[in-house]
Amino acid sequence: MTTTYGGWAGYILRVNLTTKVITKETTETYHDYIGGMGIGYKVLWDDHVDGIKATDEENQLVISAGPLSGSGAICSARTTITSRNPVIRNHLITDGHFGGHFSPELKFAGYDAIIIEGKSETPVWLKIVDDTVTLEPADSLWGVGIFDTFANISKLMGQQAQVAAIGPSGEHLVAQSTIQTQGGHSAGGHGAVLGSKKLKAIGIIGTGTVDIAESTTNEQLRALDDHILGIIGANNNGVVPNQPQSWAEYSSTGSRWRGGPGVTWGAADNPVDVGETPWDDRQKVGMRTSMAEMYFGRDEANKIFKRPGGCHSCPIRCFCEVKNPKMKTEYNLPTENITNVCLGFLDPWYAMGKPSSGEKRTDIQTVGAYYMDDNGIWSAYGQLSHLMREFTSRGFWEIILPAEEFAAINWAQYADLDAHFMQDFYTRIAYSEDYPGSNILGRCLGRGLHEFINENGELYNVEDILNEVDTPRMAELTFELESDADYDLVGKTYSVFLDKNMKVFNRSMVGGVHHASESAGQVGALLNTVFNRDPQCHSHINLINCGLPHAKIAEVAASLWGEGAFDPVKHYTAMNTSKAKFAKWCLVKNVLHDSLTLCNWMFPLVVSPDANRDYIGDSSIEAQMFSLVTGIETSEAELDAMAESVLQLHRALTVLQMNEIDQRNKHDVLSEWVYDLDHDMSFGDEGTIKMDRDDIQIGLDMFYAEMGWDKETGVPTRATLEKFKLGYVADKLESLALLPA
Amino acid sequence: MITRRALLANGAKVAVGTVYGGTLVGFLTGCGSSDDAETPIVEVIPGGLMVVNPILCVGCRRCEIACSWSHEKSAVSPSTSRIKVAKNLNFGPHGVQPNYQDQRGEQGDSTIVPSTCRQCDVCMTVCPQEAISVNEETGARVVNDDLCVGCGYCADKCPQQVITIDKTTRKSLKCDLCEGSPNCAQVCPTGAIKFYTWEDAIAEVELHEKYLELV
Repeated sequence: MTTTYGGWAGYILRVNLTTKVITKETTETYHDYIGGMGIGYKVLWDDHVDGIKATDEENQLVISAGPLSGSGAICSARTTITSRNPVIRNHLITDGHFGGHFSPELKFAGYDAIIIEGKSETPVWLKIVDDTVTLEPADSLWGVGIFDTFANISKLMGQQAQVAAIGPSGEHLVAQSTIQTQGGHSAGGHGAVLGSKKLKAIGIIGTGTVDIAESTTNEQLRALDDHILGIIGANNNGVVPNQPQSWAEYSSTGSRWRGGPGVTWGAADNPVDVGETPWDDRQKVGMRTSMAEMYFGRDEANKIFKRPGGCHSCPIRCFCEVKNPKMKTEYNLPTENITNVCLGFLDPWYAMGKPSSGEKRTDIQTVGAYYMDDNGIWSAYGQLSHLMREFTSRGFWEIILPAEEFAAINWAQYADLDAHFMQDFYTRIAYSEDYPGSNILGRCLGRGLHEFINENGELYNVEDILNEVDTPRMAELTFELESDADYDLVGKTYSVFLDKNMKVFNRSMVGGVHHASESAGQVGALLNTVFNRDPQCHSHINLINCGLPHAKIAEVAASLWGEGAFDPVKHYTAMNTSKAKFAKWCLVKNVLHDSLTLCNWMFPLVVSPDANRDYIGDSSIEAQMFSLVTGIETSEAELDAMAESVLQLHRALTVLQMNEIDQRNKHDVLSEWVYDLDHDMSFGDEGTIKMDRDDIQIGLDMFYAEMGWDKETGVPTRATLEKFKLGYVADKLESLALLPA
Repeated sequence: MITRRALLANGAKVAVGTVYGGTLVGFLTGCGSSDDAETPIVEVIPGGLMVVNPILCVGCRRCEIACSWSHEKSAVSPSTSRIKVAKNLNFGPHGVQPNYQDQRGEQGDSTIVPSTCRQCDVCMTVCPQEAISVNEETGARVVNDDLCVGCGYCADKCPQQVITIDKTTRKSLKCDLCEGSPNCAQVCPTGAIKFYTWEDAIAEVELHEKYLELV
């Protein structure tokens, strides 16, 4: 039984909302898949149903923790949510994640995962207090914003409850919706799945423990913790400060080690002058990230930043707790505080056209973040806001929207960068068809871009799609901007695959670009071919954005994957096998983290801020953590192999769900702008991130070879699947003619 | 001279309003720094207590974890921790109020107010087994497991509500200052929790108590 191991809680809850039957099963079934994402993909493989939509009753949703969550291991509070995703073409499987304190609480209650099945007829919420698990009526919660939902459930259960919930957008089956937990932590794309099941929220109180293996001593745990603190950096493992500091040999403006002289937690009751943040002052580790200035500019940040925040067990604190009194006084919100990070603040800013820092930007980002989170809206890594901004700048909305609706939208507010626009904007998206009037704008933005484009990225008539017309007309949109002339596009049919500002990187995913060719050339580009949504992969970012000089990063990369693995950003050389190995390594580590469940926004730590170590980190930390916590002595290579098994299963499940063997031409295809941007430059020129079509095809050849995937189709071969104990997967694919010969 | 009794009676009145500069952070704990350094030691002397500064607390709960890691079996849980962060984490010391947005906690004004043992005498006084006594070297009120019967009087009467009865062992879990090396302070990434002598603790306790009040 699992009680012989540390780490895993030992049980998985299976909650059938149709029958209202709740059962417990052992986690041991999933040990080969580690946990978290591994559990999610295994469950969805085992219970695969052809051709279903994300919001169909047959779809399952798995909320899972890994063996490290709740153990106290550094940065181990991620929660993975796996299900079909309505924002993705064919509603393919994706895994989203949130941080916070949810997965540790789940473990304290005695569970590694919750499998949600079926569909309730009436709104319910799931109440978990250790062994007592019940479905409770949620009629009074349906329609309530996420923040009040957290409060209501916490009042019912006890204030120490950790709650995850959907907002009005999920309830309205808006594809671009989140599942969110307390403190602004959200996982994208699956809010509508819970909405379709009428599951409003999950509240957990766990009074048990996450046991560490009996063979492990407290001293060993502390020693590993000390070791990690000695080599960990700031967010995204920035290992040098953003600005020069007296103790630092290097600094880099790309580093998220923002805490330093001039940075103040200015909205704290007693302002905290962060001062220098020496790498070896362990009681300033939690101050070194302090990165509100990344989102607001330093002057604004020093006024509104109250403190950094984040997840259970994490000393890095990438979240920004912000206090903007105008949220109350000018925008009539019930709070003046908001917490978020990255797209939580940036999505409203993108939508409004990326205004420069200042009070208007601050208001847009704080007020926008409030409405996004309270409604539970997902940006698809900015895709939603890129669409809003680009269609506005191109004058498309005036063409697409009925005249009456266009006139009803306060475009003057938009043009004036007035944050009051945020309320109506996000309400339209969240309430979809229940918003008064035609609301084509909100319904379009909330539905997922893939629904509105053909194979060439050209837009259908939006109303025809919303009305589910069998043969929709085309939208008849054309390129007309002056900047389009450089690309000889003026007058041609508009395509999102041709528009670099729309940032659709992968034609299959139709999601926002996320650390692709702008970060690591072909390595980032190849990463963006594999997952079904933006890859959310930071394995490469945590090295290449560390802030060390390029020569040092290249040296580390060469030592791990071979010469030429990492080019200077925006000065790329041709594809080589070292880059293919680098790309594979990134994905394996990413999957490992999402299975353990560990933060991939910090790990792996292949570099460190310690000059005494020549800035070298330790890539085996995950294995050291896993070994100590579970008691199963596991090497880095062995643990990576387990993660690769999950990655191979992910690829196979994509093949199965698409019922498509030709992944190379139907899934792993990049948008045209990736190759065509910077019209006056060529691939390889210094200063451009553009890729080359033939070079990327060579990249796929090399990457598939590293992955053990068939060169022609990009599907795992039988030999590869059997190597990773996935013979049963090969059998199923073969029976469906989906396995390469 | 300020006495411990006066402090515990909340009688000390010292103005608060310090600007926390970088040089102040960590001065009491003085942790070692380099990778694989020897375990840092927090200086604990008889007649003191651990206090958290709510302005500096960033809610990571590493103190809870370190507490769990520093006592017997390595079973991590807010239940086995002697410092309590989780109970006030989301909505503050008074739970979910109608104006929760204005109260403390992650869902309020984002101020987190962990509770620590103040090494007062209440648990020792109410224990019918006389299982709690003073460790002369550290000043901590410590539980003798051989005498403890898990009746829970200490937990019920604890003014800070930081004592738990272990569900498995049925023994009282209370702060023992880690026999002079409090792990909670050693792992705090912002220096929010520190050991103070009674004299030094007055302002910190008063600041802490300010955040225990309803807004």
